[in-house]
Amino acid sequence: MPDRTALLNELNDISFVMNDVTLYLDTHPLDEQALELFEQSKNRRKQLMQEYEQQFEPLTVDCVCVNSHGASQDFCNYPGQRHFTWVDGPTPWEGGHI
Amino acid sequence: MWNYEKRLQYPVKISKTCPKTAQLIISQFGGPDGELAASMRYLSQRYTMPCREVAGLLTDIGTEELAHMEIVSAIIYQLTKDMSIEDAKTAGFDAYYIDHTSGLWPQAAGGIPFNSCEFQSKGDAITDLFEDLAAEQKARTTYDNILRVVQNPEVRDPIKFLRAREVVHFQRFGEALEKTKRKLDERNYYFFNPEFDKQLLRQ
Repeated sequence: MPDRTALLNELNDISFVMNDVTLYLDTHPLDEQALELFEQSKNRRKQLMQEYEQQFEPLTVDCVCVNSHGASQDFCNYPGQRHFTWVDGPTPWEGGHI
Repeated sequence: MWNYEKRLQYPVKISKTCPKTAQLIISQFGGPDGELAASMRYLSQRYTMPCREVAGLLTDIGTEELAHMEIVSAIIYQLTKDMSIEDAKTAGFDAYYIDHTSGLWPQAAGGIPFNSCEFQSKGDAITDLFEDLAAEQKARTTYDNILRVVQNPEVRDPIKFLRAREVVHFQRFGEALEKTKRKLDERNYYFFNPEFDKQLLRQ
């Protein structure tokens, strides 16, 4: 069973790096080191977002893939069926999966 | 345009019901220095900002404040979702319960409803940036006050994250202010409105 919490934590971490470096780049748009960090975390985040969709459910509508039936059986009303997976998964404010 | 991402910016997992704590923390949802006011302040101010980079920063920080509003709301929700009537009564949460049950509604800790008079969008770049700097400090003080009163580590953890973000935003707004000053005409040494009086911007 893949670990939802571990993957989400990793995604949260890399997303936070992107949030923070974005604000920094807003006021330091030429900083080479920050540009490099932005590129790296952007690519890693993209990869993790895809992985999360494949193992659990999409976190953004852009990640919805109607042919992946949602690997996770919990938090899903139509397990195994072709369906709209956007509403699958726990609500973020529930806290139960963390 | 905005897109929703189905996760909290920082995780919240609170196992112990406590409507009293919720009643205090709700101030950072709908109170005078709360996250809703912060977001609306920055997203309103950005349209007339004369410096592109500063308008971009206001968009990004205003967006992050929406994510902070969601964290604060998640804290309140988790603190109250399993409360009994007895819990609500002993915590002094009963007045809120009468109007909202355990629904989320933006108000200050003292019960005053959210109001856009909490913030200003003056159409003057320097005025607005000074307001933003003050706002980040006021929110930081509120989080400090919450941390002095609330002992539950599950609640303190996300509050500490939010407090740290106020400090970072203050730093970024300080840089934005310096950038804006550099764009002003050197004769405008009182930093009068460069948004409306465009001749006061450096050519």
